[in-house]
Amino acid sequence: MSGSEALNNYLILGALLFSLGLVGFLARRNLIVMFLCAELMLQGVTLTLVAFSAHHRTWNGQVFAVFSLAIAAAEAAVALALIVVLFKRGHSLDVSLWQDLREPDQPPVDDELPPPDDQTPLPLSPVLTVAGRKPVHHPDHAPVSVRGKEVAP
Amino acid sequence: MIRSLIKLGSRSNFELLMSGETVGSLVLRATLILAAGAVGLFLMLPRGQAKGKGQPNRLLGAALATASFVLLLAAPFSPEWNNQRGVEGMAVFRMFPEVSASVTFYILAGVSLASAVMMITSRNPVYSALWFALVLLANSGLYFQQGAEFLAGATIIVYAGAIIVMFLFVVMLAQPSGTAGYDRVSREPLFSCLAGMLMSAALLGTIHYVMRVEWGGNSQTFSRGYRQLEQYRKFDPSLDHSLMDGVDPRNPFHVVPKPHVRGLGIALYRDNVVSIEVIGLLLLAAVVGAMLIAGHRLDAPPSASLERGPQTS
Repeated sequence: MSGSEALNNYLILGALLFSLGLVGFLARRNLIVMFLCAELMLQGVTLTLVAFSAHHRTWNGQVFAVFSLAIAAAEAAVALALIVVLFKRGHSLDVSLWQDLREPDQPPVDDELPPPDDQTPLPLSPVLTVAGRKPVHHPDHAPVSVRGKEVAP
Repeated sequence: MIRSLIKLGSRSNFELLMSGETVGSLVLRATLILAAGAVGLFLMLPRGQAKGKGQPNRLLGAALATASFVLLLAAPFSPEWNNQRGVEGMAVFRMFPEVSASVTFYILAGVSLASAVMMITSRNPVYSALWFALVLLANSGLYFQQGAEFLAGATIIVYAGAIIVMFLFVVMLAQPSGTAGYDRVSREPLFSCLAGMLMSAALLGTIHYVMRVEWGGNSQTFSRGYRQLEQYRKFDPSLDHSLMDGVDPRNPFHVVPKPHVRGLGIALYRDNVVSIEVIGLLLLAAVVGAMLIAGHRLDAPPSASLERGPQTS
């Protein structure tokens, strides 16, 4: 890890992360995914700051990175509160629904959602595998007593 | 990038800088690599295909994006490496020949980029958040590699521990049951991939220009600011600001180890006290604002508290 050799690599990686976040922010419709992509762009910038800090051998880049961490936390708090309120009102996370908030003299954006070919519902959350098997119940191993009381077989 | 190339052309040591390459081949190479990445991303983005139908496209897109990233990041293999191993094909695609890095960097960078691509192309926001957590883990590994230990830990704790969990809570709270059409159809995937390609081309072109032209393409020469910092260090022997092992000026045989968190603490609380206070105020304002935005209930009569407010006060 010395000098510009390392710096060059990290700058390339930070630029690529920033561009990927830009693509995601422009392409996705879900508000939550859009804010995640904004966080990804922040990560690219933070990586660049830390790379310059290591290159210049000062702490200033890391100080900036700590600030960007705090700002990301504040931004996430406000943005997620806004998302919750918008979802309560609109019952959808589609960002195109909120173009009613535009200026009164602006024309509406024709951004209708084309119907997807696939209509099967997605699972809401990752489905975990079953941890353990249901034990086979043998009549021979039936409990004789439960908490001191006799159990009829 | 065009400006940098024009400046490149006017340099007298043009041949030395480009080391036998032509400007056209460089631009063509960079465009091809970035276009492959953009096409791969376009194929991977959700465009409303059925599950079985879109799978080959997704796989092809993943292969293209991976090839693009490998060529961009494997480009830093040095010419010596290429000559030793006899890899001639890779040398054709070199963009930054003077760069070499450790294996750890390549592993972490690969994990980071692949997770980022999966994050922006996942159809399920829960998976997006989990892939972003993987990006954060890889990035904090890179921070460790650069001597930013506190920042690596803080990234894991604050981002992966708090922010991602908050995102997951909101996803669970605010996800309509399963059938979200807007998660399966992207908004203008072609143009956004083009925009990302232009953005990365501009950034990489600027990095290339600075590395090759302003620093002369030599890893031993550093930027003007770096040399100024070195001069400054000669007059200020205190190691509080240094990120490297140093030598005690009173006892040259005593090596002072790098101050890890102590240096960052001094930099934060001695040199940037006002900024820390401002950041704390900003966080407080954000918390109060979030409570104000999301705190009130919609099913309650909305104007009751507002109407009563001015009368009581």
